[in-house]
Amino acid sequence: MAKKKSSTKYKPKPVNVVSKSPVAKPSPFVDAPVFELLHNFQKAPDQWAARYIIIITAIIIRSAVGLGSFSGFQENPINGDFEAQRHWMEITTHLPINQWYFFDLQYWGLDYPPLTAYHSYLFGKLGTMLNSKWFELGTSRGLETVDLKNYMRFTSLISELVILSPALLGFITFIGKKLNLRRIDQILITCIVMCQPALILIDHGHFQYNSVMLGFFLYSLVDLLKGNFTLSSIWFISAIFFKQMALYYAPFIFFFILSKFVVNLITKFNFAKLFSVGLTVLVTVLTLLSPLMLGGWNDMVTNLKQILVRVFPFNRGLFEDKVANFWCTTNLVVKYKQLFSNDQLTKISLVFTLMSIAPPCLMVSYKNLMGSKFSKSSTSTSKYMSLVYGFAATAWGFFLFSFQVHEKTVLVPLIPSTLLYCLNTSYYISITQWINNVATFSMFPLLKKDGLSLQYAVLLVMINWLIGGFNWRGNLLFQKSSWFWNSVFALSYLSIAAYHIIDFQFDPPASYPDLWVILNTTISFGCFSLYYLWLNYEIYKL
Amino acid sequence: MGNDIDSTTRVEMKSTSVNTREYSLWNIWIISVFLKLLLSIGYHSTDFEVHRNWLAITYNLPINKWYIEKTSQWTLDYPPCFAYFEWVLSHLVPQFVKDDGCLKLVEKGQYGLPTIFYQRLTVILSEFVLFYALKWYIRSSKSQAEARRAYVVGSSLILSPGLLLIDHIHFQYNGMMYGLLVLVINNARLKNHLQCGFWFALLLCFKHIYLYLAPAVFVFLLRDYCLNLKFNKRKSVFWNTLHLINWMNSIKLGLIVVGTFGVCFAPFIYYQQIPQLLERLFPFSRGLTHAYWAPNFWAIYSFTDRLLILVYKNIPLSRIPLLSFFKFNEALLSDPKFANTSTRGIVGDIEFLILPTITPKLTFLLTLFYQIMALIPLFIQPTFYRFVGSLGLCGFASFLFGWHVHEKAILLVIFPISFLIVNDTRLLTPFNLLVSCGYVSLFPLIYTSSEWLIKVLYTFLWYVIYTYNFRNVTKIPKHNKGHDLILDRFINLYILGLLVVVGVTSCIDLFETKFEVLKRLEFLKLIIISVYCGFGVIGSWNGFSWAFFVNDSIFTEKS
Repeated sequence: MAKKKSSTKYKPKPVNVVSKSPVAKPSPFVDAPVFELLHNFQKAPDQWAARYIIIITAIIIRSAVGLGSFSGFQENPINGDFEAQRHWMEITTHLPINQWYFFDLQYWGLDYPPLTAYHSYLFGKLGTMLNSKWFELGTSRGLETVDLKNYMRFTSLISELVILSPALLGFITFIGKKLNLRRIDQILITCIVMCQPALILIDHGHFQYNSVMLGFFLYSLVDLLKGNFTLSSIWFISAIFFKQMALYYAPFIFFFILSKFVVNLITKFNFAKLFSVGLTVLVTVLTLLSPLMLGGWNDMVTNLKQILVRVFPFNRGLFEDKVANFWCTTNLVVKYKQLFSNDQLTKISLVFTLMSIAPPCLMVSYKNLMGSKFSKSSTSTSKYMSLVYGFAATAWGFFLFSFQVHEKTVLVPLIPSTLLYCLNTSYYISITQWINNVATFSMFPLLKKDGLSLQYAVLLVMINWLIGGFNWRGNLLFQKSSWFWNSVFALSYLSIAAYHIIDFQFDPPASYPDLWVILNTTISFGCFSLYYLWLNYEIYKL
Repeated sequence: MGNDIDSTTRVEMKSTSVNTREYSLWNIWIISVFLKLLLSIGYHSTDFEVHRNWLAITYNLPINKWYIEKTSQWTLDYPPCFAYFEWVLSHLVPQFVKDDGCLKLVEKGQYGLPTIFYQRLTVILSEFVLFYALKWYIRSSKSQAEARRAYVVGSSLILSPGLLLIDHIHFQYNGMMYGLLVLVINNARLKNHLQCGFWFALLLCFKHIYLYLAPAVFVFLLRDYCLNLKFNKRKSVFWNTLHLINWMNSIKLGLIVVGTFGVCFAPFIYYQQIPQLLERLFPFSRGLTHAYWAPNFWAIYSFTDRLLILVYKNIPLSRIPLLSFFKFNEALLSDPKFANTSTRGIVGDIEFLILPTITPKLTFLLTLFYQIMALIPLFIQPTFYRFVGSLGLCGFASFLFGWHVHEKAILLVIFPISFLIVNDTRLLTPFNLLVSCGYVSLFPLIYTSSEWLIKVLYTFLWYVIYTYNFRNVTKIPKHNKGHDLILDRFINLYILGLLVVVGVTSCIDLFETKFEVLKRLEFLKLIIISVYCGFGVIGSWNGFSWAFFVNDSIFTEKS
């Protein structure tokens, strides 16, 4: 945190801000505390230090959040995600690879793709070196010692630092060049994105390794932007093989790459490139699965079948917990589970999902086919941003309409949405911060159950304070002109505030114990849907 | 870079609100509050229970029982103002925190999260005094360049890793105390002698450890306010002698100081409990070194003793010269009872087996001697910079040679010295050595693994940011003969060595469960840190002393 004073004190401020910049507008963050804290890195010789300082600050914040409890803390014998991750380290380090997906499935059986298992294996081995009791087969179940907790926190921290943070920095640097962002703005955006509470609270509070999957996705995104489709597909397959939620991005990347290969609308199609991408995908998949093949062909087939069953639990119902998507919210009025069978529901949700992801995929493909000029208002930046919009809209479509969505899954559409900070105008900043706030809010029931209310409140207030949400001047939570958006923001922030007052003051009525949670998901669903529509509108405008 | 700017620029500065807004400490304070809130649920030491017990004592008992009560072993041993402070806090406790057991007068407190939140919040909010004092310090700068320097000093103190570790993890109320000390310092800077005296008296009524700094404050006020050393040739010798003392000022100051003490201690004077109170405040039954050795002279002394024992036991040839030189009792060496005593603050007659035993009187005399040395230049030249330098050296003397010194007392040195160093780049090297060694020596205080990364990274970040910023704003002396480059390099290397020290000690921690042998090295970690930091602190003391006694130009006031 905290850097102070500029040594450029004597020059009038505006000159200072604008100097050497191709755009003559001052930074939108100029009145925000984050600008004051970091502005002495404006000078070129100091800029390199800013990244390191932001990263160290980010580690400190994450470790401080990590002091809190985690999912399933002291809830024997079931526990939560923390125990699941620990248990996977236990089974991967102690069992031969062909039993990983079969071992005692009732007790947190492995239900993520193989890369997660390898990741668990790696950290399981490392942890065993430090203390063999942490991951002993059988006896270590439900272990919650402070040392173990710290070790697990450390693993998620290191995973994020090694994978997500460089990817994020890479993205911001690349897009910064393309969009002509000043260095200081890139620094500020890095800081803002790294301090967004949603991912911190889930990965370092609740405990999961989402950052790994999201990091792979960001690498893939950067390579797509650069046009390295083969490299991008390697990253993307890695993301899917770490967490199947990365499939939310898959339709879009498929359409995007395919449409890029059409050189001329009817006559030419670049089969060579398509072939190279296809081959890369195949080789990557085989490489990632190769450890499973060690046991022979039959063994591999049974294993693969089992992985598919474990990873895609279609028998588990339309939704489990209360989540801010279409099904859970409209379930208040239409009782789906009484009207339809599980099979029918699967199909209905598939149709809805396809309908929701079709607009972004098709629009961006169409614009790709139409060549570099997207529309009348299109600029050179549209080309790059169409990818970010497209990924975000597709993932939001999945989140809102697909089967078996968890509240944590909101991170998947949220990450590409957060990247819209790079557009760096008050209009986009306010909308992006708004959707981040709502997404964090939508996870509040979960975090409250985990005992992370304090961390939730502190981080949420902190990020809004950092971007100047508590300022009179230059308040970036609201916009300068658009009355529509400002009333949407005001309304949603007021209802969020009201929700927290109600939730804090009163217990829900005994007959409806989930009433407050439903209130939460309804507010969130409203905002998410509006945001989804806005994304589509933005793509249309490109 | 460091030149004071002319008046036209000052006018400009006032006219542009953007620039003045930038010197606001507010954002720095807020960002630190977020971190402190996150840390509130983490580790806290027994000091937390101590303060909770004091809340209970002041809430449940009449004032005449406060210093007699001893249900819990954590009796009230701070001066009355702190007790009043706790009394106020205890009456602000909300009902649900009371239900949590916050105010129960019991031997061992049973409390939960509400109590923790409440007490943590009182620490965070009481630190507002420090924030306000530093804000005032920055605002009362006479020029923009000075304000800039003041801003770096102020923010460095607000974000001090020392305060974060001691107040917000370990649990104490130092932020407020040092806030009062900053008020004293800034009043001295602005020549508000009466207020300076008042705030210092009040500070002493809050926490008596600041008695260590009292000589400097006393000499400064005496020389600069109460004495009038100008000889008026037109008047008689008798008149001059009479006017040697500025009677009016002395009476005003005396009344204020005595009045402050009087009001604070009044109830206890009324109940005739002063002897009992003093006994609580000054317990002399403790050992020379604290449980964790503070990085001072005695740490090195104890370390030498341990080293000599090893030499004596393992090298037969050394026995006769050692015996004849130190004349110690050989029989004690084989006594298993004394095997590890000198790493713990155990009360006992014998702490050293080979080297001569240290008595409280000796430590007192040593402290006094070095304090007097630091006071003489102040008496001759009572400028503000002499004053803070002298405060710092008094702090150094008591920290290095005092009896039963806590490592936390290093703040007593760092705080005053911080106000001095922006005046001359030559002071930066000893300052870097001081803060790095001083803050690292606090690490063993927070021994929990959860906070490990936070304390190390936070201190590292603070050090990097502020080395850089102090170097940017500090005045460069006009007749700069160039730094002693070799010495500077060596000191930087020494500071880098701290990384190795922290690394090694952390590795001992990390592999403790794995290798049994490391458990026996429990004290080795503390010894490594204390001795390494001890040399650093002593080195920095030498650096400051050299500057204080030799480089006059740093301390003269430039108008």
